[in-house]
Amino acid sequence: MASSVERSFTAASTLDEAMAARRQGAAVLAGGTWMMRDPRRGIDLPEAVVALHRIPALSKVEIEPDHVVIGAAVTHAVLGRALYGAAGFEGVVAAAEGAANPGIRRVATVGGNLCALDFAAADLVPALLVCEATVELETVEGPKLLGISDFLKDRHTLLTDGIVTRIHLRRDLVASAHIRLPLRKAGDYPVAIVSLAMDKDKRCRIAVGSVEPVARRWTALEQAMRAGPASALDPERAAELALEHNDFQGRDGKEAEGWYRRQVLPPLVKRGVAALLKTGGLA
Amino acid sequence: MTVTFQLNGEDCRFHGDPMTPLVDILRQERFLTGTKAVCREGFCGACTVHVDDEAVPSCLKPIALVQGCAVTTIEGLSSGNHPLHPLQAAFEAADAVQCGMCFPGMVMSLSAFVRDNPHASRPEIKAAMVGNICRCTGYERIVDTVADCLDQARKAGQLVGGVHV
Ligand SMILES: Cc1cc2nc3c(=O)[nH]c(=O)nc-3n(C[C@H](O)[C@H](O)[C@H](O)COP(=O)(O)OP(=O)(O)OC[C@H]3O[C@@H](n4cnc5c(N)ncnc54)[C@H](O)[C@@H]3O)c2cc1C
Ligand code: FES
Ligand code: FES
Repeated sequence: MASSVERSFTAASTLDEAMAARRQGAAVLAGGTWMMRDPRRGIDLPEAVVALHRIPALSKVEIEPDHVVIGAAVTHAVLGRALYGAAGFEGVVAAAEGAANPGIRRVATVGGNLCALDFAAADLVPALLVCEATVELETVEGPKLLGISDFLKDRHTLLTDGIVTRIHLRRDLVASAHIRLPLRKAGDYPVAIVSLAMDKDKRCRIAVGSVEPVARRWTALEQAMRAGPASALDPERAAELALEHNDFQGRDGKEAEGWYRRQVLPPLVKRGVAALLKTGGLA
Repeated sequence: MTVTFQLNGEDCRFHGDPMTPLVDILRQERFLTGTKAVCREGFCGACTVHVDDEAVPSCLKPIALVQGCAVTTIEGLSSGNHPLHPLQAAFEAADAVQCGMCFPGMVMSLSAFVRDNPHASRPEIKAAMVGNICRCTGYERIVDTVADCLDQARKAGQLVGGVHV
């Protein structure tokens, strides 16, 4: 057990302390459920690590009348419980409660899910994309606020020295849904994920995870759906439009080949729209 | 790095690599071999222990993260001359165990679950054990036993494991 590695480990109690460690080259450790498997991927564990679990501000969920703030070190289990029953966040709750398995959900954090680079099947990412979440980071140049799409685009660079601190969500959704397709009921990463949300104007937002290397909004489908009247929102019609506007390049992976991930999207959209209409009281 | 924590109610000190998985310390330094390292990836649940009363996989827990925490393994759930945890006794009575590889993890996951969910339904019991894989028995007998155990505790007006929630 006594390893020859002299690894440095900082359990930061403030963000300043964490950033100081980061400037010295320490990697961020949250729940460890991704990082601890690095050796199995042929990657050495980092020589210096800074843990965030002792920074109180990063471990709470604040629910205000018009917005919600989620600390990056909040676990999936805590997030699911905190937002349970909050109108508009059904999709985030389903993502937090449906990912992985209960033991992992008690440990894995929101920040870890957003910052696990090269992890295509992160459930919270599409769920937060349709919420149009804002990601707050601490960087060597000071704090930054970024729309989640921009964060995802630049996260390789942002995370070389930054720390994700909080996720900000507006409470402007009527309903949302999160539909995942694992091969088995539990344990597998989802083959494809479709997250949907409906805003107060009854406009649909849709994001897809696990099909391409990074989750993204399905803008072609959103626009096609907006071309029709909101009252015409219908699962069958949405599935037809999804087939017509399927602009995804499926990635080949262990669980499924790319063509399959792409092909399952229309039925998942159908299920998602049905769930959305039901939650929004429109079904 | 030195890490101190409580292990099955006793003070425990570890000196070494802070990223060592907890399961390795339990098994190789403390000889608590009830906790199994099977997949080492968070998928099988055989390494489940309680950290501050929560059931978590010990294969993905760097030891530095348990600094100041209370860790309970299957050996600490009921030890020595003490009676078995009611769930353990129920599994034994129902002959629900075969090879035993998955069972310490199964018991650690489910003992925390029944403590927190005395009124759990069958689907809730199943959902609680999706992270515990058994290659031998099939799951129905395990689910039946948990459901019976909760049922009997409710009838007797007790909580399983005697922990009030
Ligand atoms: C068995 C199993 C099944 C799984 N199934 C699913 C699933 O179905 N859906 C799903 O979404 N995920 C799944 N996962 C992945 C899991 O959700 C991720 O491993 C988890 O979200 C990572 O969170 P963590 O807190 O453990 O991160 P860590 O492992 O601690 O960190 C992950 C990465 O993010 C970085 N990081 C963490 N926090 C921050 C921060 N605040 N700022 C900057 N960088 C940071 C770390 O440096 C590291 O590179 C599964 C994992 C396992 C083990
Ligand atoms: S060994 Fe830890 S979950 Fe399988
Ligand atoms: S009893 Fe053998 S793996 Fe479960």
